[in-house]
Amino acid sequence: MTAAGRDVAPDAGADRVDADGRADAPVVDVRARRGLTLSELVLLAVLAVLFGFLYWALVQAWAALQIAMGPFGDLAQHVLIGGWMVVAPLAIYIVRKPGVGVVVELVAALVEFAFLASPVGPMLLLVGLVQGVGAELAFTLTRYRRYGWWVFVASGVTAALASTLLGTVRYGWHLQDLFALRVGLQVVSGIVLCGLLARVLGDALARTGVLDETALGRERRARRAAAEVPA
Amino acid sequence: MTTAGRTAPGPTALARRDPTVVLGTLLVVSLLLLVPVDPWTPGALLVAAVAAARAGGVPWRTLLRGAATFGPFAVSVLAVNLVTRPGVPVAHVAGLTVTDVGALVGAGLAVRTLLVGTLAVVVASSLDPVRLVTSLHQRVGLTSRAAAALLAGHRVLEQLPARWVAVRQAQAARLPGPRPRRPGRLPASPRLLGRAAFTLLVVTLRQAQQMAVALETRGVGSGPRTVHRPVPLGPGDGVLAATALGVVLLVGLVTWRLGLLETWGTVGR
Repeated sequence: MTAAGRDVAPDAGADRVDADGRADAPVVDVRARRGLTLSELVLLAVLAVLFGFLYWALVQAWAALQIAMGPFGDLAQHVLIGGWMVVAPLAIYIVRKPGVGVVVELVAALVEFAFLASPVGPMLLLVGLVQGVGAELAFTLTRYRRYGWWVFVASGVTAALASTLLGTVRYGWHLQDLFALRVGLQVVSGIVLCGLLARVLGDALARTGVLDETALGRERRARRAAAEVPA
Repeated sequence: MTTAGRTAPGPTALARRDPTVVLGTLLVVSLLLLVPVDPWTPGALLVAAVAAARAGGVPWRTLLRGAATFGPFAVSVLAVNLVTRPGVPVAHVAGLTVTDVGALVGAGLAVRTLLVGTLAVVVASSLDPVRLVTSLHQRVGLTSRAAAALLAGHRVLEQLPARWVAVRQAQAARLPGPRPRRPGRLPASPRLLGRAAFTLLVVTLRQAQQMAVALETRGVGSGPRTVHRPVPLGPGDGVLAATALGVVLLVGLVTWRLGLLETWGTVGR
Protein backbone atom coordinates (compact mmCIF):
# COMPACT_ATOMS: atom_id res chain seq x y z
CA MET A 1 0.00 0.00 0.00
CA THR A 2 1.20 3.48 -0.73
CA ALA A 3 -0.33 5.93 1.68
CA ALA A 4 -1.28 8.93 -0.44
CA GLY A 5 1.78 8.25 -2.48
CA ARG A 6 4.11 9.40 0.26
CA ASP A 7 5.51 6.13 1.52
CA VAL A 8 9.19 5.71 0.95
CA ALA A 9 10.63 2.80 -0.94
CA PRO A 10 11.24 -0.34 1.11
CA ASP A 11 14.98 0.17 1.10
CA ALA A 12 14.89 3.91 1.72
CA GLY A 13 17.61 4.95 4.07
CA ALA A 14 19.29 1.57 4.05
CA ASP A 15 22.64 3.24 3.59
CA ARG A 16 22.09 5.04 6.91
CA VAL A 17 21.83 1.87 8.98
CA ASP A 18 24.74 1.17 11.26
CA ALA A 19 27.02 -1.65 10.23
CA ASP A 20 25.89 -3.60 13.29
CA GLY A 21 22.23 -2.99 12.43
CA ARG A 22 21.36 -1.04 15.58
CA ALA A 23 17.66 -0.58 16.16
CA ASP A 24 17.99 3.09 16.91
CA ALA A 25 19.62 4.08 13.65
CA PRO A 26 17.78 6.86 11.75
CA VAL A 27 16.30 5.44 8.56
CA VAL A 28 13.15 7.47 7.92
CA ASP A 29 13.13 9.53 4.76
CA VAL A 30 12.97 13.23 5.58
CA ARG A 31 10.08 13.78 3.12
CA ALA A 32 8.02 11.16 4.96
CA ARG A 33 8.40 13.07 8.24
CA ARG A 34 6.08 15.87 7.09
CA GLY A 35 2.46 15.45 8.21
CA LEU A 36 0.53 12.24 8.61
CA THR A 37 -0.71 10.14 5.71
CA LEU A 38 -4.27 8.84 5.71
CA SER A 39 -3.08 5.29 6.41
CA GLU A 40 -1.07 6.57 9.38
CA LEU A 41 -4.10 8.48 10.66
CA VAL A 42 -6.27 5.37 10.44
CA LEU A 43 -3.55 3.29 12.10
CA LEU A 44 -3.30 5.83 14.96
CA ALA A 45 -7.10 6.02 15.33
CA VAL A 46 -7.36 2.23 15.52
CA LEU A 47 -4.46 2.03 17.98
CA ALA A 48 -6.14 4.72 20.09
CA VAL A 49 -9.48 2.92 20.04
CA LEU A 50 -7.90 -0.43 20.89
CA PHE A 51 -5.89 1.00 23.75
CA GLY A 52 -8.78 3.16 24.90
CA PHE A 53 -10.70 -0.10 25.27
CA LEU A 54 -7.74 -1.78 27.02
CA TYR A 55 -7.34 1.26 29.31
CA TRP A 56 -11.03 0.97 30.21
CA ALA A 57 -10.47 -2.75 30.98
CA LEU A 58 -7.45 -1.76 33.09
CA VAL A 59 -9.70 0.57 35.09
CA GLN A 60 -11.78 -2.48 36.04
CA ALA A 61 -8.58 -4.26 37.17
CA TRP A 62 -7.66 -1.10 39.08
CA ALA A 63 -10.95 -1.25 40.97
CA ALA A 64 -10.29 -4.88 41.97
CA LEU A 65 -6.72 -4.10 43.06
CA GLN A 66 -7.95 -1.11 45.08
CA ILE A 67 -10.31 -3.31 47.04
CA ALA A 68 -7.58 -5.93 47.55
CA MET A 69 -5.16 -3.30 48.94
CA GLY A 70 -7.61 -2.14 51.61
CA PRO A 71 -6.93 1.31 53.12
CA PHE A 72 -3.97 1.80 50.79
CA GLY A 73 -6.00 1.00 47.69
CA ASP A 74 -5.39 4.51 46.38
CA LEU A 75 -1.79 3.44 45.72
CA ALA A 76 -2.99 0.78 43.25
CA GLN A 77 -3.15 3.42 40.51
CA HIS A 78 0.61 3.94 40.77
CA VAL A 79 1.30 0.23 40.26
CA LEU A 80 -0.74 0.24 37.05
CA ILE A 81 -0.11 3.78 35.79
CA GLY A 82 2.39 2.75 33.09
CA GLY A 83 -0.26 0.58 31.45
CA TRP A 84 -2.37 3.69 30.81
CA MET A 85 0.44 5.39 28.88
CA VAL A 86 1.85 2.58 26.74
CA VAL A 87 0.17 3.55 23.49
CA ALA A 88 2.11 6.83 23.21
CA PRO A 89 5.64 5.35 22.90
CA LEU A 90 4.22 2.45 20.86
CA ALA A 91 2.66 4.85 18.33
CA ILE A 92 5.86 6.89 18.11
CA TYR A 93 7.91 3.71 17.62
CA ILE A 94 5.66 2.64 14.75
CA VAL A 95 4.98 5.97 12.98
CA ARG A 96 8.09 8.00 14.01
CA LYS A 97 6.62 11.46 13.54
CA PRO A 98 6.34 14.34 16.01
CA GLY A 99 3.08 14.67 17.93
CA VAL A 100 1.69 11.18 17.34
CA GLY A 101 2.21 10.17 20.98
CA VAL A 102 0.15 13.11 22.20
CA VAL A 103 -2.57 12.64 19.57
CA VAL A 104 -2.98 8.92 20.18
CA GLU A 105 -3.17 9.38 23.97
CA LEU A 106 -5.76 12.14 23.53
CA VAL A 107 -7.94 10.02 21.25
CA ALA A 108 -7.59 6.99 23.55
CA ALA A 109 -8.70 9.22 26.43
CA LEU A 110 -11.66 10.49 24.37
CA VAL A 111 -12.70 6.91 23.59
CA GLU A 112 -12.31 5.84 27.19
CA PHE A 113 -14.29 8.76 28.56
CA ALA A 114 -16.87 9.64 25.91
CA PHE A 115 -17.60 6.19 24.47
CA LEU A 116 -16.92 3.87 27.42
CA ALA A 117 -17.80 6.13 30.40
CA SER A 118 -14.57 5.91 32.41
CA PRO A 119 -14.98 6.95 36.07
CA VAL A 120 -12.12 9.44 35.69
CA GLY A 121 -14.42 11.59 33.57
CA PRO A 122 -13.49 14.40 31.17
CA MET A 123 -10.30 15.07 33.10
CA LEU A 124 -9.01 12.08 31.15
CA LEU A 125 -8.49 14.44 28.20
CA LEU A 126 -6.11 16.52 30.30
CA VAL A 127 -4.53 13.37 31.74
CA GLY A 128 -4.06 11.97 28.22
CA LEU A 129 -2.53 15.24 27.04
CA VAL A 130 -0.06 15.43 29.94
CA GLN A 131 0.88 11.74 29.75
CA GLY A 132 1.26 11.92 25.97
CA VAL A 133 3.55 14.96 26.23
CA GLY A 134 5.53 13.24 28.99
CA ALA A 135 5.96 10.01 27.02
CA GLU A 136 6.89 11.89 23.85
CA LEU A 137 9.48 14.12 25.51
CA ALA A 138 12.23 11.48 25.47
CA PHE A 139 11.76 10.90 21.72
CA THR A 140 11.63 14.64 21.04
CA LEU A 141 15.01 15.03 22.74
CA THR A 142 16.44 12.50 20.26
CA ARG A 143 14.67 14.33 17.39
CA TYR A 144 12.75 11.10 16.72
CA ARG A 145 15.93 9.40 15.49
CA ARG A 146 16.78 6.97 18.32
CA TYR A 147 14.64 3.99 19.27
CA GLY A 148 16.97 1.98 21.50
CA TRP A 149 15.88 0.44 24.80
CA TRP A 150 17.20 3.36 26.85
CA VAL A 151 15.05 5.85 24.97
CA PHE A 152 11.99 3.77 25.91
CA VAL A 153 13.17 3.65 29.54
CA ALA A 154 13.53 7.45 29.45
CA SER A 155 10.08 7.74 27.87
CA GLY A 156 8.60 5.70 30.73
CA VAL A 157 10.33 7.92 33.29
CA THR A 158 9.27 11.22 31.69
CA ALA A 159 5.70 9.97 31.26
CA ALA A 160 5.58 8.88 34.90
CA LEU A 161 6.99 12.19 36.13
CA ALA A 162 4.50 14.19 34.04
CA SER A 163 1.68 12.07 35.39
CA THR A 164 2.95 12.55 38.95
CA LEU A 165 3.05 16.30 38.45
CA LEU A 166 -0.59 16.33 37.33
CA GLY A 167 -1.64 14.06 40.19
CA THR A 168 0.10 16.36 42.65
CA VAL A 169 -1.87 19.32 41.34
CA ARG A 170 -5.16 17.39 41.38
CA TYR A 171 -4.86 15.53 44.65
CA GLY A 172 -2.18 17.36 46.65
CA TRP A 173 0.06 14.29 46.88
CA HIS A 174 3.00 16.46 47.91
CA LEU A 175 1.20 17.17 51.19
CA GLN A 176 0.93 13.47 52.07
CA ASP A 177 3.30 11.14 53.93
CA LEU A 178 3.39 8.70 51.01
CA PHE A 179 4.67 11.13 48.37
CA ALA A 180 8.08 9.44 47.88
CA LEU A 181 6.42 6.02 47.66
CA ARG A 182 3.94 7.34 45.09
CA VAL A 183 6.74 8.79 42.92
CA GLY A 184 8.81 5.60 43.16
CA LEU A 185 5.90 3.35 42.19
CA GLN A 186 4.96 5.65 39.31
CA VAL A 187 8.50 5.67 37.87
CA VAL A 188 8.93 1.88 38.10
CA SER A 189 5.51 1.31 36.54
CA GLY A 190 6.29 3.90 33.85
CA ILE A 191 9.54 2.16 32.91
CA VAL A 192 8.09 -1.37 32.84
CA LEU A 193 4.47 -1.01 31.72
CA CYS A 194 4.91 2.05 29.48
CA GLY A 195 8.44 2.28 28.06
CA LEU A 196 9.70 -1.30 27.91
CA LEU A 197 6.29 -2.84 27.15
CA ALA A 198 5.85 -0.45 24.20
CA ARG A 199 9.15 -1.59 22.68
CA VAL A 200 8.35 -5.29 23.27
CA LEU A 201 4.87 -4.90 21.78
CA GLY A 202 6.16 -2.93 18.79
CA ASP A 203 8.80 -5.56 17.97
CA ALA A 204 6.31 -8.40 18.41
CA LEU A 205 3.79 -6.69 16.12
CA ALA A 206 6.48 -5.95 13.54
CA ARG A 207 7.50 -9.64 13.48
CA THR A 208 3.97 -10.57 12.39
CA GLY A 209 4.33 -8.37 9.28
CA VAL A 210 1.29 -6.25 10.11
CA LEU A 211 3.45 -3.13 10.34
CA ASP A 212 5.39 -3.68 7.11
CA GLU A 213 4.03 -0.48 5.55
CA THR A 214 4.97 1.71 8.51
CA ALA A 215 8.23 3.48 9.35
CA LEU A 216 9.06 0.70 11.81
CA GLY A 217 8.46 -1.98 9.17
CA ARG A 218 10.58 -0.13 6.63
CA GLU A 219 13.39 0.24 9.12
CA ARG A 220 13.34 -3.47 9.90
CA ARG A 221 13.44 -4.32 6.20
CA ALA A 222 16.32 -1.91 5.68
CA ARG A 223 18.21 -3.53 8.54
CA ARG A 224 17.64 -6.98 7.12
CA ALA A 225 18.79 -5.82 3.69
CA ALA A 226 21.91 -4.27 5.20
CA ALA A 227 22.66 -7.47 7.09
CA GLU A 228 22.37 -9.52 3.89
CA VAL A 229 24.88 -7.38 1.96
CA PRO A 230 28.14 -9.38 1.75
CA ALA A 231 31.10 -7.73 3.49
CA MET B 1 -24.97 0.61 19.96
CA THR B 2 -23.53 -2.47 21.51
CA THR B 3 -19.98 -1.51 22.32
CA ALA B 4 -18.76 -3.23 25.49
CA GLY B 5 -18.93 -1.04 28.53
CA ARG B 6 -20.83 1.65 26.69
CA THR B 7 -24.04 2.91 28.18
CA ALA B 8 -26.69 2.79 25.49
CA PRO B 9 -27.67 6.30 24.31
CA GLY B 10 -31.17 7.25 25.33
CA PRO B 11 -33.53 10.04 24.37
CA THR B 12 -32.13 12.53 26.88
CA ALA B 13 -32.26 16.32 26.56
CA LEU B 14 -28.45 16.32 26.42
CA ALA B 15 -28.50 14.11 23.31
CA ARG B 16 -30.07 17.00 21.35
CA ARG B 17 -27.28 19.43 22.23
CA ASP B 18 -24.10 19.93 20.22
CA PRO B 19 -21.62 17.24 21.41
CA THR B 20 -18.61 19.58 21.18
CA VAL B 21 -20.37 22.13 23.41
CA VAL B 22 -21.31 19.37 25.88
CA LEU B 23 -17.76 17.99 26.02
CA GLY B 24 -16.18 21.44 26.23
CA THR B 25 -18.51 22.49 29.04
CA LEU B 26 -17.85 19.30 30.92
CA LEU B 27 -14.10 19.73 30.58
CA VAL B 28 -14.24 23.31 31.91
CA VAL B 29 -16.48 22.22 34.80
CA SER B 30 -14.04 19.43 35.63
CA LEU B 31 -11.16 21.89 35.65
CA LEU B 32 -13.08 24.21 37.98
CA LEU B 33 -13.74 21.26 40.30
CA LEU B 34 -10.00 20.95 40.86
CA VAL B 35 -10.15 24.06 43.07
CA PRO B 36 -12.34 22.98 46.03
CA VAL B 37 -11.16 20.14 48.28
CA ASP B 38 -13.99 20.36 50.81
CA PRO B 39 -16.93 17.94 50.55
CA TRP B 40 -19.62 20.67 50.63
CA THR B 41 -18.98 22.27 47.24
CA PRO B 42 -18.89 19.04 45.18
CA GLY B 43 -21.66 17.62 47.38
CA ALA B 44 -24.03 20.46 46.50
CA LEU B 45 -23.05 20.15 42.84
CA LEU B 46 -23.65 16.39 42.95
CA VAL B 47 -27.22 17.00 44.15
CA ALA B 48 -27.69 19.59 41.39
CA ALA B 49 -26.20 17.24 38.75
CA VAL B 50 -28.47 14.34 39.73
CA ALA B 51 -31.52 16.64 39.74
CA ALA B 52 -30.59 18.05 36.31
CA ALA B 53 -29.95 14.57 34.91
CA ARG B 54 -33.33 13.32 36.13
CA ALA B 55 -35.05 16.40 34.72
CA GLY B 56 -33.26 15.76 31.41
CA GLY B 57 -34.60 12.21 31.15
CA VAL B 58 -31.61 10.19 32.41
CA PRO B 59 -33.05 7.08 34.12
CA TRP B 60 -32.21 6.22 37.74
CA ARG B 61 -30.80 2.91 36.47
CA THR B 62 -28.03 4.72 34.57
CA LEU B 63 -27.19 6.94 37.54
CA LEU B 64 -27.14 4.05 40.00
CA ARG B 65 -24.98 1.94 37.70
CA GLY B 66 -22.53 4.83 37.58
CA ALA B 67 -22.57 5.17 41.37
CA ALA B 68 -21.92 1.42 41.74
CA THR B 69 -18.90 1.74 39.43
CA PHE B 70 -17.44 4.85 41.01
CA GLY B 71 -18.30 3.99 44.61
CA PRO B 72 -15.22 1.79 45.22
CA PHE B 73 -12.95 4.51 43.82
CA ALA B 74 -14.50 7.11 46.10
CA VAL B 75 -14.21 4.86 49.17
CA SER B 76 -10.58 4.09 48.32
CA VAL B 77 -9.68 7.78 47.92
CA LEU B 78 -11.38 8.54 51.26
CA ALA B 79 -9.60 5.69 53.07
CA VAL B 80 -6.07 6.55 52.01
CA ASN B 81 -6.52 10.27 52.64
CA LEU B 82 -7.94 9.69 56.13
CA VAL B 83 -4.68 8.19 57.37
CA THR B 84 -1.99 9.88 55.28
CA ARG B 85 -2.60 13.60 55.73
CA PRO B 86 -0.89 15.67 58.44
CA GLY B 87 -3.25 17.43 60.85
CA VAL B 88 -4.86 17.21 64.26
CA PRO B 89 -5.48 13.53 65.21
CA VAL B 90 -9.17 12.83 65.67
CA ALA B 91 -9.19 9.02 65.85
CA HIS B 92 -6.99 5.92 65.82
CA VAL B 93 -8.06 3.01 63.63
CA ALA B 94 -6.08 -0.27 63.44
CA GLY B 95 -2.90 1.49 64.50
CA LEU B 96 -3.36 4.30 61.97
CA THR B 97 -4.06 7.93 62.91
CA VAL B 98 -6.99 9.73 61.31
CA THR B 99 -6.50 13.51 61.09
CA ASP B 100 -9.00 16.34 60.68
CA VAL B 101 -7.39 17.46 57.41
CA GLY B 102 -7.39 13.84 56.17
CA ALA B 103 -11.11 13.51 56.90
CA LEU B 104 -11.93 16.84 55.23
CA VAL B 105 -9.81 16.34 52.11
CA GLY B 106 -10.64 12.62 51.85
CA ALA B 107 -14.37 13.32 51.93
CA GLY B 108 -13.93 16.19 49.45
CA LEU B 109 -11.97 14.12 46.94
CA ALA B 110 -14.35 11.16 47.35
CA VAL B 111 -17.41 13.32 46.64
CA ARG B 112 -15.57 14.92 43.70
CA THR B 113 -14.95 11.40 42.31
CA LEU B 114 -18.66 10.61 42.56
CA LEU B 115 -19.59 13.93 40.95
CA VAL B 116 -17.21 13.62 38.00
CA GLY B 117 -18.19 9.97 37.54
CA THR B 118 -21.88 10.87 37.49
CA LEU B 119 -21.28 13.62 34.93
CA ALA B 120 -19.25 11.18 32.80
CA VAL B 121 -22.03 8.59 32.83
CA VAL B 122 -24.67 11.17 31.95
CA VAL B 123 -22.64 12.52 29.02
CA ALA B 124 -21.58 9.10 27.73
CA SER B 125 -25.17 7.91 27.82
CA SER B 126 -26.23 10.75 25.53
CA LEU B 127 -23.31 11.03 23.08
CA ASP B 128 -23.64 9.63 19.59
CA PRO B 129 -20.06 9.01 18.36
CA VAL B 130 -20.83 9.82 14.71
CA ARG B 131 -22.54 13.07 15.73
CA LEU B 132 -19.56 13.89 17.96
CA VAL B 133 -17.04 13.48 15.13
CA THR B 134 -19.24 15.51 12.76
CA SER B 135 -19.52 18.24 15.37
CA LEU B 136 -15.76 18.26 15.99
CA HIS B 137 -15.29 18.60 12.22
CA GLN B 138 -17.72 21.55 12.08
CA ARG B 139 -16.74 23.37 15.28
CA VAL B 140 -13.06 22.83 15.98
CA GLY B 141 -11.68 22.26 12.50
CA LEU B 142 -11.08 18.51 12.71
CA THR B 143 -9.93 17.70 9.15
CA SER B 144 -12.01 15.39 7.00
CA ARG B 145 -9.10 12.91 6.92
CA ALA B 146 -8.89 12.87 10.71
CA ALA B 147 -12.68 12.62 10.98
CA ALA B 148 -12.71 9.65 8.58
CA ALA B 149 -9.92 8.00 10.60
CA LEU B 150 -11.85 8.52 13.85
CA LEU B 151 -15.01 7.05 12.34
CA ALA B 152 -12.99 4.07 11.12
CA GLY B 153 -11.71 3.69 14.68
CA HIS B 154 -15.27 3.86 15.97
CA ARG B 155 -16.25 1.08 13.57
CA VAL B 156 -13.42 -1.02 15.00
CA LEU B 157 -14.65 -0.33 18.52
CA GLU B 158 -18.14 -1.53 17.60
CA GLN B 159 -16.77 -4.79 16.22
CA LEU B 160 -14.27 -5.36 19.03
CA PRO B 161 -16.41 -7.51 21.38
CA ALA B 162 -17.53 -9.88 18.57
CA ARG B 163 -13.98 -10.09 17.26
CA TRP B 164 -12.66 -10.90 20.75
CA VAL B 165 -15.13 -13.75 21.12
CA ALA B 166 -14.24 -15.07 17.63
CA VAL B 167 -10.52 -15.07 18.44
CA ARG B 168 -11.08 -16.89 21.73
CA GLN B 169 -13.38 -19.45 20.11
CA ALA B 170 -10.77 -20.14 17.42
CA GLN B 171 -8.14 -20.44 20.14
CA ALA B 172 -10.30 -22.93 22.08
CA ALA B 173 -10.93 -25.02 18.96
CA ARG B 174 -7.19 -25.39 18.38
CA LEU B 175 -6.32 -26.40 21.95
CA PRO B 176 -5.00 -29.97 22.29
CA GLY B 177 -6.78 -32.44 24.55
CA PRO B 178 -10.43 -33.26 25.10
CA ARG B 179 -13.21 -30.77 24.43
CA PRO B 180 -14.49 -28.74 27.40
CA ARG B 181 -17.25 -30.50 29.32
CA ARG B 182 -19.51 -27.46 29.36
CA PRO B 183 -20.25 -26.08 25.89
CA GLY B 184 -19.71 -22.34 25.45
CA ARG B 185 -17.11 -22.13 28.19
CA LEU B 186 -13.84 -20.69 26.84
CA PRO B 187 -10.40 -21.27 28.44
CA ALA B 188 -9.38 -18.32 30.62
CA SER B 189 -5.76 -18.83 31.66
CA PRO B 190 -3.75 -15.58 31.72
CA ARG B 191 -1.37 -16.95 29.06
CA LEU B 192 -4.20 -17.74 26.66
CA LEU B 193 -5.92 -14.42 27.34
CA GLY B 194 -2.66 -12.59 26.63
CA ARG B 195 -2.25 -14.47 23.35
CA ALA B 196 -5.84 -13.73 22.39
CA ALA B 197 -5.32 -10.01 23.16
CA PHE B 198 -2.21 -9.93 20.96
CA THR B 199 -4.04 -11.71 18.15
CA LEU B 200 -6.86 -9.18 18.47
CA LEU B 201 -4.30 -6.39 18.15
CA VAL B 202 -2.75 -7.90 15.01
CA VAL B 203 -6.10 -8.66 13.33
CA THR B 204 -7.41 -5.17 14.09
CA LEU B 205 -4.30 -3.46 12.76
CA ARG B 206 -4.66 -5.51 9.59
CA GLN B 207 -8.26 -4.30 9.35
CA ALA B 208 -6.98 -0.73 9.77
CA GLN B 209 -4.75 -1.18 6.72
CA GLN B 210 -7.68 -2.46 4.68
CA MET B 211 -9.89 0.44 5.80
CA ALA B 212 -7.16 2.93 4.90
CA VAL B 213 -6.95 1.47 1.39
CA ALA B 214 -10.74 1.64 1.06
CA LEU B 215 -10.79 5.28 2.20
CA GLU B 216 -7.98 6.25 -0.18
CA THR B 217 -9.74 4.47 -3.03
CA ARG B 218 -12.83 6.60 -2.36
CA GLY B 219 -10.77 9.76 -2.42
CA VAL B 220 -11.06 10.62 1.27
CA GLY B 221 -8.39 13.15 2.15
CA SER B 222 -7.91 14.35 -1.41
CA GLY B 223 -9.89 17.56 -0.91
CA PRO B 224 -12.77 19.28 0.93
CA ARG B 225 -15.77 17.10 1.81
CA THR B 226 -19.42 17.85 2.38
CA VAL B 227 -21.19 16.79 5.60
CA HIS B 228 -24.05 14.32 5.28
CA ARG B 229 -25.95 15.33 8.43
CA PRO B 230 -24.64 18.60 9.90
CA VAL B 231 -25.01 19.07 13.66
CA PRO B 232 -26.91 22.32 14.33
CA LEU B 233 -25.64 24.83 16.88
CA GLY B 234 -28.52 26.67 18.55
CA PRO B 235 -29.31 28.99 21.46
CA GLY B 236 -29.99 25.94 23.61
CA ASP B 237 -26.30 25.03 23.46
CA GLY B 238 -25.33 28.44 24.78
CA VAL B 239 -27.93 28.18 27.54
CA LEU B 240 -26.60 24.76 28.52
CA ALA B 241 -22.99 25.97 28.76
CA ALA B 242 -23.92 29.19 30.60
CA THR B 243 -26.21 27.39 33.06
CA ALA B 244 -23.67 24.68 33.87
CA LEU B 245 -20.80 27.11 34.43
CA GLY B 246 -23.10 29.54 36.27
CA VAL B 247 -24.27 26.87 38.72
CA VAL B 248 -20.69 25.77 39.46
CA LEU B 249 -19.56 29.35 40.09
CA LEU B 250 -22.67 30.13 42.16
CA VAL B 251 -22.22 27.09 44.40
CA GLY B 252 -18.54 27.96 44.82
CA LEU B 253 -19.47 31.53 45.75
CA VAL B 254 -22.07 30.38 48.29
CA THR B 255 -19.74 27.88 50.02
CA TRP B 256 -17.02 30.55 50.09
CA ARG B 257 -19.39 33.09 51.67
CA LEU B 258 -20.46 30.48 54.24
CA GLY B 259 -16.80 29.77 55.07
CA LEU B 260 -17.08 26.16 53.88
CA LEU B 261 -14.91 26.39 50.76
CA GLU B 262 -11.47 24.85 51.22
CA THR B 263 -8.63 24.74 48.66
CA TRP B 264 -5.14 23.21 48.67
CA GLY B 265 -3.93 26.65 49.73
CA THR B 266 -6.07 26.72 52.87
CA VAL B 267 -5.66 23.08 53.99
CA GLY B 268 -1.93 23.07 53.26
CA ARG B 269 -1.15 25.96 55.54
